[in-house]
Amino acid sequence: MKNTKARNASGYMFLTPWLLGFFLLAIGPILVSLYLSFTRYDMVGDPRWTGFDNYIYMFTRDRRFWKTLEVTFHYVLFAVPLRLIMALSVAMLLDKGLRTIGLYRAIFYLPSLLGASIAIAILWRQLFSIDGVVNQVLAVVGIQGVGWITNPSTSIYTLIILAIWQFGAPMLIFLAGLRGIPRDLYEAADIDGTSRFRKFYAITLPMLAPVVFFNLVLQIIEAFKIFSPAFIISNGTGGPADSLLVYTVYLFNEAFKFFRMGYASALAWVLLLIIGLFTALAFATSKYWVHYENERD
Amino acid sequence: MAVSRRKFLTTTGGLALAAGLPAMPALAQDRSIRHFWWGNPERDKRTFEVIEIFDKNHPGISVSGETIGWGDYWTKMATQTAGRNMADLVQMDYRFLFEYVRRGALQELDPFIGNGLDLSNFDKGPLQGGMVDGKLYALNIGSNSQVFVYNEAIFEEAGVADTDVINWTWDQFADVCKTITEATGGKVKGSDDCSVVLEVCEVWIRQNGSSFFGPDGDVTVTPDIIADYWQFWRDLRAEGALRSADKSLDANLPMSDVGIVSGDTAISNFWSNQIVGVQALMQDPVGAAMVPHKEGGDPGQFIKPSMFMSLTRDSEDPEAAIMYMNDWINNPEATKVLGLERGIPANPDVRAALAPDFTPAERVSVDYFNAIQDKVGTLPPPEPKGAGEVRDAFIRAATNVVLGDIEPQQAAEVFVDDAQAIIDRAR
Repeated sequence: MKNTKARNASGYMFLTPWLLGFFLLAIGPILVSLYLSFTRYDMVGDPRWTGFDNYIYMFTRDRRFWKTLEVTFHYVLFAVPLRLIMALSVAMLLDKGLRTIGLYRAIFYLPSLLGASIAIAILWRQLFSIDGVVNQVLAVVGIQGVGWITNPSTSIYTLIILAIWQFGAPMLIFLAGLRGIPRDLYEAADIDGTSRFRKFYAITLPMLAPVVFFNLVLQIIEAFKIFSPAFIISNGTGGPADSLLVYTVYLFNEAFKFFRMGYASALAWVLLLIIGLFTALAFATSKYWVHYENERD
Repeated sequence: MAVSRRKFLTTTGGLALAAGLPAMPALAQDRSIRHFWWGNPERDKRTFEVIEIFDKNHPGISVSGETIGWGDYWTKMATQTAGRNMADLVQMDYRFLFEYVRRGALQELDPFIGNGLDLSNFDKGPLQGGMVDGKLYALNIGSNSQVFVYNEAIFEEAGVADTDVINWTWDQFADVCKTITEATGGKVKGSDDCSVVLEVCEVWIRQNGSSFFGPDGDVTVTPDIIADYWQFWRDLRAEGALRSADKSLDANLPMSDVGIVSGDTAISNFWSNQIVGVQALMQDPVGAAMVPHKEGGDPGQFIKPSMFMSLTRDSEDPEAAIMYMNDWINNPEATKVLGLERGIPANPDVRAALAPDFTPAERVSVDYFNAIQDKVGTLPPPEPKGAGEVRDAFIRAATNVVLGDIEPQQAAEVFVDDAQAIIDRAR
């Protein structure tokens, strides 16, 4: 008994650096931000307790808050399914026994490695600018392009296209899932002369459902948190006309441009609730479409 | 008594020093100060050169310079302010000065006047701009004013070179724009579209006898005036005399993308200290025009401090910092390096010393500055807290007008309401 305790103690000793980091750099700031969300704090003076004012203002008076929700939901609604479809399609293409397949997988994963970087966001701004590559290509086939980013009705789609292009991480997970589907199911289907579409619909998708679910949850969370591409493409403003004002960009500007750290903290907590809500929704619906092979009825 | 981090560090650091290094008095004389500014490559080069000169003249004090672009500057400032880690000396803008003073982030400079800081030969007007509630918080390191920079070669080509661009009216300006667009076959448009540019709109507002903010910080401009402003640009756009709408929605374009520099237009708006920078990016010679006048209206333009230098609350060695500040405005070696890049210096001796070496573009700026002296109005009252956010709201409203999504009158009414709400919330 005593021996176990000593062993546990030494285990915690080894964990200390991580525990310190967790409590000082994660839990600490999180709790402070919860406190700040009930205050008015301009980052220079002391925080002033205001109760629920920030939250009340957010839901009753702040028009930009509703605008940013609209923009963010628009983005999530398109970016998540399209990225997953793209990832699954490419994963199925790559699920072959070719000898050079490793190279292809690496190449298809590349955009995701670069994706989070500032450089790609800047590149994107150039591609879709009015004199950019996209319009030059369109001009060749005789189409007069618009300023894709400067035009509020098209700017969000440049962001969605960027999201689709970065399909690498879910693709890898899909690929692993595809490998895990027993081959004999397909062989049996072949013997019955099943069409390819039918095989996809009746075998691949149901067998892959847990992986799809996993990817869906991860991608929903990630999509709500989108920041750097929107920030860079819109020059930090969320413009034109707030059309790129995704939630975290609004939050960032409230905190670091207008010095409303209290209000920004409240926004952060509402975002946490929104993400939690959608994750819970995904879990709640999962029992209708996700089946695990080792499930016992 | 609460012990701040700084106090804790200096106390413990001092103890350690006293205990471990009792016989090294030289160390105590090593002083260092930090200077933080927003810049561009040219400005950074000149500033680092001044730092070198100062370090050479003041052995024992070392200055470290930190520079970043305008867009990120205020974010970094806010973070450093919150972390109580501001540089000793920071570059300040008229728009932000009052916010920072009211937050207690800056130190008063009055105790240093005549006591390290020599202002005996400093123009009184520019000095006033750095005062808040009668106390000096920011030292003017250059003045400027609004300006419409034009391409002289294209003016020549279109036959409008003899326009009196110091006294012209909005109607004349519109005619010039149309003439240029016709003369170049639409290749070069007359002007950039200033719908989203609050700085030009403000001149328009003042010409109409109003002001954007009243003395108590409320929004005093009426929607009609702003609607007229947007309507003016809209009419000119309908004539095809302005840059395309897609390129007219960003009020913070890098200099190289502004119409006159990229070759899209013959006229673009700037601040007068930027004339030198614009010319550096262009082949054709540029001229400087006033923002057009309203016939029979009030003077709209004003001369404003383009940049300030301020001493921050976090400075540990104000004495050394003030020495550096003093050199900036009084040491001929330093002022020669700085030139007109940050605006027109407020020390007449400095201006006189610079005159013989002016480049053509510097000559244009100084001539322009002299020409407008009796055509400008008074400096508007200090902007209230939240003014920066109002500017963002203006850009958003104007964007919708330029794109034709909303009528100017309606947009202006919504905007004025929004602006007042922003100001109320910031109080």
